[in-house]
Amino acid sequence: MKPLLALLAAAAVAATAGFEDITSKAGVAVAHHNRKFENPYAHIMAGYTALGASASAADYDGDGYDDLFVTDSSANGRNHLFHNNRNLTFTDVAAQAGIDSGNDAANASADSLWFDYNNDGRPDLLVVRFGRSQLYQNLGNGKFKEVGKAAGLDRYLNAITAIAFDYDRDGDVDLFIGAYFKPVNLFKPETPNFFPESFETANNGGGVILYRNNGNGTFTDVTDKSGLQTSGWTLDLGHADADNDGWDDLYVACDFGTDRFFVNRHDGTFGDITEKAIGIDTKKGMNVDWGDFDNDGLLDIYVTNITDDYMKEGNFMWKNNGNLTFTDVSRETNTYDTGWGWGAKFFDYDNDGWLDLYVTNGWVSAGSESYVPDVFEMIIKPDLDLSDARNWPPMGTKSLSGYQKKRLFHNERGQAFTDQAPKFGVDSIKDGRGIATADFDNDGRIDMFVANANGQPFLYRNTMPNVGHWVELVLTGVKSNKLAVGAQVRVTAGGRTQLRFVDGGNSFAGQGSMRLHFGLGAATTIDKVEVRWPTGEKQLVANVPVDKLTKISEGSTK
Amino acid sequence: MNRTWIAIAAVAMAVAQGVRPAVVTSQQADLAALEAALSAAPDDLRAANDYRMAIIPVKQYDRSIAFFKKLTADHPTAANAHLNYGFAYVDKIPDAGAITQVILANNALGEFTKSLDLRPSWIALYTRGNSYLFWPRIFNRTKYGIADLTEALKMQKIETKRHYHVRVYVSLGDGLWKYDDLPGAANIWREGLAQFPDSDKLKARLAKQGDELKTVIEADYDPQKRVDTSLQDLWMER
Repeated sequence: MKPLLALLAAAAVAATAGFEDITSKAGVAVAHHNRKFENPYAHIMAGYTALGASASAADYDGDGYDDLFVTDSSANGRNHLFHNNRNLTFTDVAAQAGIDSGNDAANASADSLWFDYNNDGRPDLLVVRFGRSQLYQNLGNGKFKEVGKAAGLDRYLNAITAIAFDYDRDGDVDLFIGAYFKPVNLFKPETPNFFPESFETANNGGGVILYRNNGNGTFTDVTDKSGLQTSGWTLDLGHADADNDGWDDLYVACDFGTDRFFVNRHDGTFGDITEKAIGIDTKKGMNVDWGDFDNDGLLDIYVTNITDDYMKEGNFMWKNNGNLTFTDVSRETNTYDTGWGWGAKFFDYDNDGWLDLYVTNGWVSAGSESYVPDVFEMIIKPDLDLSDARNWPPMGTKSLSGYQKKRLFHNERGQAFTDQAPKFGVDSIKDGRGIATADFDNDGRIDMFVANANGQPFLYRNTMPNVGHWVELVLTGVKSNKLAVGAQVRVTAGGRTQLRFVDGGNSFAGQGSMRLHFGLGAATTIDKVEVRWPTGEKQLVANVPVDKLTKISEGSTK
Repeated sequence: MNRTWIAIAAVAMAVAQGVRPAVVTSQQADLAALEAALSAAPDDLRAANDYRMAIIPVKQYDRSIAFFKKLTADHPTAANAHLNYGFAYVDKIPDAGAITQVILANNALGEFTKSLDLRPSWIALYTRGNSYLFWPRIFNRTKYGIADLTEALKMQKIETKRHYHVRVYVSLGDGLWKYDDLPGAANIWREGLAQFPDSDKLKARLAKQGDELKTVIEADYDPQKRVDTSLQDLWMER
């Protein structure tokens, strides 16, 4: 019997090898609910506000295990703080922590961001809202305190995304908020003119707001003098050092019009170099994630757009040319068509040393009738004022780019990607939004939490067999911001050097772990670890072991 | 060489030489000359085609659209002016955003229909029928394309055989394929190949099946690719 049992056991492993859906048994199977507005335009708005399903990973209690914050958006929906029980189960402690009340009649949760606003080394939490966002100070005892107003962040915005990084290199992270609608009260609009004025060149959105961290627990809105004045329909923001000059630059993904690229000018301002860097586009930018997919030492950018039978925009895989220009290689790399794209995240799921990519998609999966002809009837009407919500057809129970299969792109040595989602059972057809990648069980394999709009999420445990060796690094800044956001690490092993950086919340409606994870393939030793801290100082770290997590403190060589 | 050809040659030369202020001035003058020629003969298919072909390299699509708008307003019964007005919209599509492409394509269909209403012709039937095939299935326009192309096929069968008649076999088969009538499509492609044994497009379609066939066909209906809207086949002898 033993051989038979062994065979059965092996078969069971084979059936689940790859990614295992542990959503229910992990205790995180809580559905997201879209906001239902109650105003004269509610029946129209319903089709355009299927948003707010976000997930953000961070070790908020410093116990060495990444936890999860997950948003709901309905008026009485509670947000969730899933504390990691260290055994691949989670307990929702949001109410005890005091951070569950992200929704009410005047505010709807849209996104979330862990960031250390007071530079005490503990991740604080921003709940990004249509309305007034909430800033929760992490008190360090499992409790949080709402400090948004005291911090100067209580302005009404229809915020949909946020990232935090130290753009002025003064040692603390600053806050960048992207707003979708302009700041009209969506819950009681005083005007019907709050929809996009154009499908391709709209400039009546919420734009980008930059709050500079004053270093004393407060922020100052410096948008006007920072050079970031935009009025696009911002859906996502992504930062990284595009030209390796030590200063992080900014990509702004916009719906209904061109994305924007801002170069950091080292003096507290940014320059809009969109035309030179990426060109002007008319697409529907949804997601920004940065990663060096081809291991050439330059960080590239993945942006999702809309690609469907009726609208073939194609995504952008912006290959970094190293001179503040980028070339779209999405067709060449097979990452061009992912349907109606949403959150996408680079991560190395098989530890082969090449960044793979997971992409969510799907707008509204509802009835069998399509909403496309309704939109078509609208757009061919001459001289129609699209900014007037009353001119947009209600979606009702129709679907628009729904029931789309997610993509798990395996990186074929930086040349192209192949979709492995069906093989590993991660090709759900739910309306995906945000992705949080983290090694939740500290086994050296990165897991995925996927937030779905108006539905249950997925927690996929990475059970990939025969993965390569790995190393995970946790960085602590001293002169730099404590969580080391913006730090770059170059690891050389097995004859190649990989670049990763600590990002401050890149990718739509999702935030991955701040730990840096390197797949090492067959390499059993690491030749070199070089950290470039946000201050610009470089540090070599010796004797970093493989298949382990190593903590690195700024200024320490061990 | 008539005035039209001189103007086209001048524009082509200007494009080849790169854009310089003097050249730009020259281009504008040459386009104006083509417009003047067309205004004097609004139903002249060849003159309209020559004008559009001069517009494409310099990407002055809005100028062309505005010109044909006025031309058709001034000469509402000029069927070929409406046909080329439709093509002027089509010419802009590859350089437009995804939503604008839909608007342009719809405007083009409107002008093709006006042309057909004024004078049912093989070229107008083929043009409108083929245009319908670019629309995603969700819009249910394929059946109209099949109807137009079937009429065009009937028309060409009672005319003298022309080398460009092969286009209807290709497009009608594509329409039937898109309408999920693969046997019907194959029959039309085979019939076409019997008439035009050198047609690479027909050979390619008949040689492929399944996803490979889909790839071959869809490559011809990609809105990002420029459609060859030149009508010179109509007067070029082979």
